[in-house]
Amino acid sequence: MPIVTVALSKPLPSGLAPELRSRLFFVSPQILDFSLVEAAGRIEAVILTTADDAAPDLADKVRRVVAADIARQKVFKSKVVWRSEAGGGSADTLSSQGDLFESLVSAGVAYEAGEGQVGFGEPLIGLMHYFDRRITQIALAMPNAQEFQYPTLLPTSVLDAFGYFGSFPHFAMFVTRLHNDIDVYESFRADYAEHGRIPETLFSHCGNHDYCLPPTMCYHTYHQLRDTTLPADRVVTAKGKSFRFEAKYYRGMERLWDFTIREIVFLGSRESVVERRDAFMRSTFALMDEFGLCGFGEVANDPFFVTQDTAGKILNQRMMELKYELRLFVDSARTIAAGSFNFHENFFGESFRIRHPDEAAITTGCVGIGLERLVYAFLCQYGLDKSKWPDSVRTGVAANGF
Amino acid sequence: MKDPIRSFLAQHIKGRTIQDDDDIFALGLVSSLFTMQLVLFLEQEFDFEVSGDDLDIANFRTVNAMAALAERSVSAGQGPAEEFSSR
Repeated sequence: MPIVTVALSKPLPSGLAPELRSRLFFVSPQILDFSLVEAAGRIEAVILTTADDAAPDLADKVRRVVAADIARQKVFKSKVVWRSEAGGGSADTLSSQGDLFESLVSAGVAYEAGEGQVGFGEPLIGLMHYFDRRITQIALAMPNAQEFQYPTLLPTSVLDAFGYFGSFPHFAMFVTRLHNDIDVYESFRADYAEHGRIPETLFSHCGNHDYCLPPTMCYHTYHQLRDTTLPADRVVTAKGKSFRFEAKYYRGMERLWDFTIREIVFLGSRESVVERRDAFMRSTFALMDEFGLCGFGEVANDPFFVTQDTAGKILNQRMMELKYELRLFVDSARTIAAGSFNFHENFFGESFRIRHPDEAAITTGCVGIGLERLVYAFLCQYGLDKSKWPDSVRTGVAANGF
Repeated sequence: MKDPIRSFLAQHIKGRTIQDDDDIFALGLVSSLFTMQLVLFLEQEFDFEVSGDDLDIANFRTVNAMAALAERSVSAGQGPAEEFSSR
């Protein structure tokens, strides 16, 4: 495979390596792999393994992303707000389960259905139900809380309403169909008959982009409450399939294009939203301790991509501590984010015109728990043998009917 | 050091008068997205780089806190930002 070395005109501090690594596969599908050349605390170059037909402007594309998203960022020190009782938040004592996803596939309890798409059976289903039930109980114990089941499809106009495509264009997954017109059906059928397969010209027959797949559940809630007045603080929780195009970053059950989120949305006054978000975060950390999970919670930021002001948005999120992540170990050195705890100020209240009785926009916050990741981290730490699971989890799963 | 900070803030708080110990975020005078502008202003005005533990919102809430950060950083001899700075 061809190798392309992209020297950076201005080296980056090594502290920005995670931010750079998380974007490179979105630069082009022709990047098959990459590594960073680091020396004396600086990233000096990016080495790309490329497809045979890689375009000559690949280096320019990498440099554009570095300039737009990375170079202006500050390096933040990790700010840990919680460490698990198990292992004191460190994985030194964790017994290795090897490559767990491979074990799950070998045992016939999981399979890779496609890129970033995984199907699974027991014992993962029982764990997922039990963990979800316990998290949902925290939500429903809050005043004025309600559970909703949302459709999978989300109107594209909902993401449009708050500038999603300006911040996260790389994640968006759209839903289309053959345009409902007899001429289109006939010409598509003729093309299909001629080629004997879906024709390359498929999208010329599909004009509709009114719906997309939801990147997370809380957008359904803002859509649901659009143009309403909330007489009191509210909590809404929903579980649903969520979709983010993760390019080549998909990996086993750790990073999926198609996954399940339990989301809890807090709506109301600034004080109540912050208080509930923080209380929910503390309760989640306590639950992780009850489950015997090893991990930590820390201040985090969203993966904005080629936006007008990526560095400013990340600085804002980190300095105002608008986002925290629950990180769980999947081996002795690696963690995955299994949940996030977010405060949005009045951004969604303004965008969706959700108001207090005095007409001021409400504030919102949300918690999202990635259920596949939570289950996967648990199995990475405890394995498939139920006799080795912590008692609370084993009995809880059994009492839940699994 | 406080005068240039006061002048800069005055351009962004629409004629409101503030005291040097007023929390500009808590008072709702600026949005949190203003933080980056504050960081860049201080770095350019006083020729130092905000980094590490100084990237704390407490250092940017009041005129007094910003002046103290600038004074501390400049007197600590923290030179101009390096080539990968946000400038």
